Amino acid sequence: MDYRIIETKERVLADNERTAEKNLENLKKAGVFFINLMGSPGAGKTSTLLQLVKRLGKEGKGLRIGIIEADVDSDVDAKTLSDKVDRVLQVHTGGLCHMDADMTQRALEALDFTGLDLVVLENIGNLVCPAEFEVGADMRVMILSVPEGDDKPLKYPLMFTISDVMVVNKTDAMEVFDFDLGKAEERVKKLNPEIKVFPVSAINGDGFDELSSFIEKAVKEKRG
Amino acid sequence: MRTILLNATVTSSNDRDAEKLRARMKEKGTLLVNIMSSAGSGKTTLLSRTIEDMRDLKIAVLEADIESTVDAEKIESLGACAIQVHTGGMCHMDAGMTAKSVEAVEEATEEALKNNKNFDLMFLENVGNLICPAEYDTGAGLNVMILSVPEGDDKPLKYPLMFKESQALVISKMDTRGFFNFDLEKCMQRARALNPEIKIFPVSAKKGDGMKEFEDYLREKLKSWKEG
Repeated sequence: MDYRIIETKERVLADNERTAEKNLENLKKAGVFFINLMGSPGAGKTSTLLQLVKRLGKEGKGLRIGIIEADVDSDVDAKTLSDKVDRVLQVHTGGLCHMDADMTQRALEALDFTGLDLVVLENIGNLVCPAEFEVGADMRVMILSVPEGDDKPLKYPLMFTISDVMVVNKTDAMEVFDFDLGKAEERVKKLNPEIKVFPVSAINGDGFDELSSFIEKAVKEKRG
Repeated sequence: MRTILLNATVTSSNDRDAEKLRARMKEKGTLLVNIMSSAGSGKTTLLSRTIEDMRDLKIAVLEADIESTVDAEKIESLGACAIQVHTGGMCHMDAGMTAKSVEAVEEATEEALKNNKNFDLMFLENVGNLICPAEYDTGAGLNVMILSVPEGDDKPLKYPLMFKESQALVISKMDTRGFFNFDLEKCMQRARALNPEIKIFPVSAKKGDGMKEFEDYLREKLKSWKEG
């Protein structure tokens, strides 16, 4: 019985890996940079996107941006972004707690990424499950917000291990919470020495010049 | 070739396990409370405060996490019985895992209970996740969820199931309201639209505000559990 369960999980993850590779290939051919944006509910994924889009999109550096909004329910997020970027697609996962590569492939097709420079998948608000499923992204960005606490790397190690970037959001609220930025960085670098850390405030814009330059550079490098 | 609808099998066997556990806990007169929320909403802080305020009751905590023992250590430092459960990567607790955890905490604390071997309240601090735990009946006698002010008042719209499945909603970190755009009325309206019976408790576990109302609610629920 146990053997069968393990085999199933391995097969599911292997299938997912293959589809993720395909997504990566398709996006590479089109010269589109793909970011998988993850974080707990209320960490500030949508607010962070708004700040990035302001600097990188039509009102800023002129990158052509498409957003895939993945939620369990509601379209509040897609509505918030709809007139600020070139294309938005709202995906409802039917209760599923993460996006996988297959769902992402279908979403990418529905969005139609031709002519875009950057696509961002705003994943389901969840610090656990999205980390287990590769979607074919060039960059994995996770957001940890100050109110959540600096011990989250200890308790949810996988998300921090697989991410390329950790955005520490709501730094404007630092004095109200017991959040030790140094400790959070130490803990995350123990799991993932290569991770880049960007402290920001999506409400007042602090730290976003650095984060958006970092992303802009990566987008341009992929285009070559 | 046989095909099984895997989802249905898993869920219905979990439901059976949950009913069995609930019946066992009824016999013992122990109210098992399932505490659910996103990561960092304040489950451990709420429990710590509750334990400190309700020292007249025998309380145990089942700390469920993916990794780390920080939460169980915190609870133990307050002098309460706790065990740390590691879910092996699973994003929620189910009834089978909860039943095993209940046995484990009772074994581990046999000495502490001495003559009366039963706890009054047992809290299951579920994995920090606003989605998956709502799908699995843990066998608890009461489901309490926490939404914290910094997370935003739109969460009932985006994660409806947990609000539907919970009997109580604690709105935590109320002391930070000045910093965030959180509309308490709107949030309560949204939660009640999904679940008209849900009891709502705005609190600050840090400052103690609103905690008496929540603790009185727990006492009332415990009384009916023991009498029922």
